[in-house]
Amino acid sequence: MAAWPHWLPLVVLAPLLGAVFTPVVSLRSRHVAPWWALAVMSATSVAALFLVLRVASEGPFSYLPGGWQPPYGIELRFDEFSAVISVICLIGWLAVLYSLRYTEWLREVPKQRIPYYYALLLLNLGGMIGFVVTGDLFNLFVFLEILSLSAYALVAFSGEHIAEMAAFKYLLMGAISSLLVLFSVGIIFGITGSLNMADVATRIGQLDSAAPAALALAMLAIGFMVKAAVFPVHIWLPDAHAIAPSPISAVLSGLVVKVGIIGLIRVYQIYYAAGVLDLHTLNQVLVWLGAISIVMGAFFAIFQDDIKLMLAYSTISNVGYIVMGLGLSTNFSVIGGSVHVFNHALIKATLFLAAGALIYRTGYRTLTDLRGIGRSMPLTCIAISIGAISIVGIPPTAGFLCKWYIALGAFEADQPFFGFALIFGALFIFIYYIRMVNAFYFQAPVHPEILEVAEAPLSMLAPTLLLASLCLIMGILGRIPLAFIEPAAARLLAPLGG
Amino acid sequence: MEVTDIRVILAPAISLLCAALVFLAGSNKHWRRFWMLSAATLKLGVVMSMLPGSLQGTVYTWGMIEFTPGIGLAFRADALGMFFAVVSSTLWVITTIYAIGYMTGDEHRVRFFGFFALCVSTTVGLAFAENLLTFFLFYEMLTICTYPLVIHDETPDALKAGRKYLTYTLIGGAFIMVGSVIVYDATGTLSLGHPGILSAELGTRTLLLIFVSLVGGFAVKAAVMPLHGWLPSAMVAPTPVSALLHAVAVVKAGAFGILRTVYNVFGVDLLEDIGFAVPLMWIAAFTILAASLVAIFQDNIKRRLAFSTISQLSYIVLGAALLTPFAATAAIVHIANQAFAKITMFFVAGAIQRTTGKTNVHELAGIGYRMPWTMGAFTVAALSFIGMPLFAGFITKWYLSLGALESGEYWVLAVMIASSLFNAAYFLPIVYLAFFKAPPGTQLRVAEARPTLLISTLVAAAYVIVLGTTAEVPGMPFSLAQAAVHFVFGM
Repeated sequence: MAAWPHWLPLVVLAPLLGAVFTPVVSLRSRHVAPWWALAVMSATSVAALFLVLRVASEGPFSYLPGGWQPPYGIELRFDEFSAVISVICLIGWLAVLYSLRYTEWLREVPKQRIPYYYALLLLNLGGMIGFVVTGDLFNLFVFLEILSLSAYALVAFSGEHIAEMAAFKYLLMGAISSLLVLFSVGIIFGITGSLNMADVATRIGQLDSAAPAALALAMLAIGFMVKAAVFPVHIWLPDAHAIAPSPISAVLSGLVVKVGIIGLIRVYQIYYAAGVLDLHTLNQVLVWLGAISIVMGAFFAIFQDDIKLMLAYSTISNVGYIVMGLGLSTNFSVIGGSVHVFNHALIKATLFLAAGALIYRTGYRTLTDLRGIGRSMPLTCIAISIGAISIVGIPPTAGFLCKWYIALGAFEADQPFFGFALIFGALFIFIYYIRMVNAFYFQAPVHPEILEVAEAPLSMLAPTLLLASLCLIMGILGRIPLAFIEPAAARLLAPLGG
Repeated sequence: MEVTDIRVILAPAISLLCAALVFLAGSNKHWRRFWMLSAATLKLGVVMSMLPGSLQGTVYTWGMIEFTPGIGLAFRADALGMFFAVVSSTLWVITTIYAIGYMTGDEHRVRFFGFFALCVSTTVGLAFAENLLTFFLFYEMLTICTYPLVIHDETPDALKAGRKYLTYTLIGGAFIMVGSVIVYDATGTLSLGHPGILSAELGTRTLLLIFVSLVGGFAVKAAVMPLHGWLPSAMVAPTPVSALLHAVAVVKAGAFGILRTVYNVFGVDLLEDIGFAVPLMWIAAFTILAASLVAIFQDNIKRRLAFSTISQLSYIVLGAALLTPFAATAAIVHIANQAFAKITMFFVAGAIQRTTGKTNVHELAGIGYRMPWTMGAFTVAALSFIGMPLFAGFITKWYLSLGALESGEYWVLAVMIASSLFNAAYFLPIVYLAFFKAPPGTQLRVAEARPTLLISTLVAAAYVIVLGTTAEVPGMPFSLAQAAVHFVFGM
């Protein structure tokens, strides 16, 4: 089954077409929409599973729609980094399931609009899947726009009073970044006459002048850094992620920011292979910005009382880890950074879904208001605690290995300062999570009625607990993703000569 | 001889299971007590069953649970680890009995006993950790599991102490992580199963970075001055917690970590060559004296004991830093000697508090008339700390002095003498007040603490005498310490 070639286009088309038809199938009854979305995501997940199995057994492979050979035709390219579609599908599926109850609860949202929510969610997931499996620069931009536009709309969907503002801020920054990406794709097409990534890499290598390629590189890097919310272009993230409906926050924080990271990896793949530019400066910039993001994100998180806002800041911190790992450009650090793309998605989704369940049951969203909730919603709070331990990076949870590898990379690259920055940044994060645990378990409730609250409903509890257990499993079986991503990291760094 | 044996992971697993069962048993106190006592006894049995083999040089191991190639959990019960495990599992039994008596009627008993068992589990995990990563994992778990115990009363004071505790220990933990990463980067291994894995070729800069990170990180929990700030504040915890965790498990985890760093990461030969141990020696000596001086002026019993703990722990650090076989013997046996004597004192302090409500030294006048057995136990422990022969503390001082002479550091003898005097100065007044001062009022009736408290106190005190008189008897933990020293020094 895994060898069937058409899984690759199917994995992109299924969610996109599913999205388009969502309003149609829900014409009669809006209650069809979530089940339709669930079915679409199930089909996509099956395709994704086969693709991941195939890349694990035979390495990267391509699909050429219509049989047109690159660089003339479009190429879909599936490598180890594309395996991130597995978490996209998993978290997407769980987010849909979770939304079943959650969307009905959003009072400000007219009920007949709920099918559009699922359509946008599918569009967003489809855009992300397309983004990570395409081998074509222009497609990269198109998918980036699909996922960005749907994300803006989804942020605004919660209907809270600052939702429009947050969405608009996100839109503004996102549009600038998309423009930068589009311009640099244009420049690259202008100087090389090609849009296929592998082809572009060879052609840039043969150019007489590297200056336009360098300009394109800078614009691409900045563009993707905005999407990944690296300091100092992170300012759109906290509000957008905190205001969005919780399942959307999980998707945005766990997955959508990772699109920026995958974009950066693609840029590196092209420019390392081209070999005309010395990327040392860019790397150094990334490492510094990564370090600043880690500390700054954690520092701001400490002062938040709103639980979702704090999770949003911690995302900035974690993206900092990944960016630092890429910038250190040693074998260990790139492996650690890439695996953290997967692991952070799982951890952050756990945390946002669990936080959403607390908000759903109590209606409160600040730590002060939520005091004592650990007694009435024990399972959800255990999930949050597991997520917290993972994100701090305590063994044997999912967060540990990545940090270990990135820190190892820092010492390997003989930049021990960043090793220190990374490990002590984690301490800052810990401080916040301890405040959270204190509030949930040890402080007297501000609102006595919070002790009477029921545990989250099954459709919300099950996804949260599943993700929480994955946080542990991915730590204990951490060797599997590390070994999986290793050849890709080695291939990425091969042009550096070691 | 190395043998793969499941008992190495069974020992920490029993406490872990016990914690789970305690949480499950909920408010059913009979089941809870049953699980607590049977787990503690069972665990002691498991650890003790490894003792004969261990004394004959068998090293029990349990293979690696690999997270990723070369990095994973592995367990290994060598002589040093066995020593720590024997001490902590013996104390668990005694403390469990004491805690059951002490905590009766407390609102959060389930949480208390659950995390209590978890802490013991991590302590034995630490003892049997084969590599730095496993060690680090249990070290951090110990921090997290003790936090709910420190803030048990949930008062603002307790929460504040908890915050302070976490700040200190987590920063220490981060340093240990840094040190471990550098060790792995430099050598490609994290194993603690050798007499030293580093070599002088790494260069002074790397070695210094590792030494400062690891020893500095462990020194936080070992409460070496000036990193001791958390320990006196953490005394707000219930007495059994202070007893087991703050006199034994947590602080000993730090001291044990320093021993592992000195003996198994660096190795005595390398440290001798590069000379990093000398400043550590001075710091330890300073801590011994300074903490004792502070202790003299503490009126709160538990605070006085806390500063005494700080002072006593640095005996272990000093013994490790002297880098001679005799000093190493002293460092290792002091893990047991200090543990039993200090836990006796904490038990006494808790018994007095529960029975009479008194928490300060000046209130103790005549308490010996009321609680003669309890105060008798206290006297035994006090004499041990002063270093009287026949009591456990004498063994430490004797070997530490021998070790100092062996290495030519004669000034250490002066430190020993001064420390004995200071110990006398802050413990004997308590004994004097208790037995030789007339109690306020006229009631001279004997009203001892309840049996669970009294019995465990007396058992702990009896151990102090046993450790001090029968050290050379075959089968006593002392021979384990000697086996560990032989391994470390390649004798």
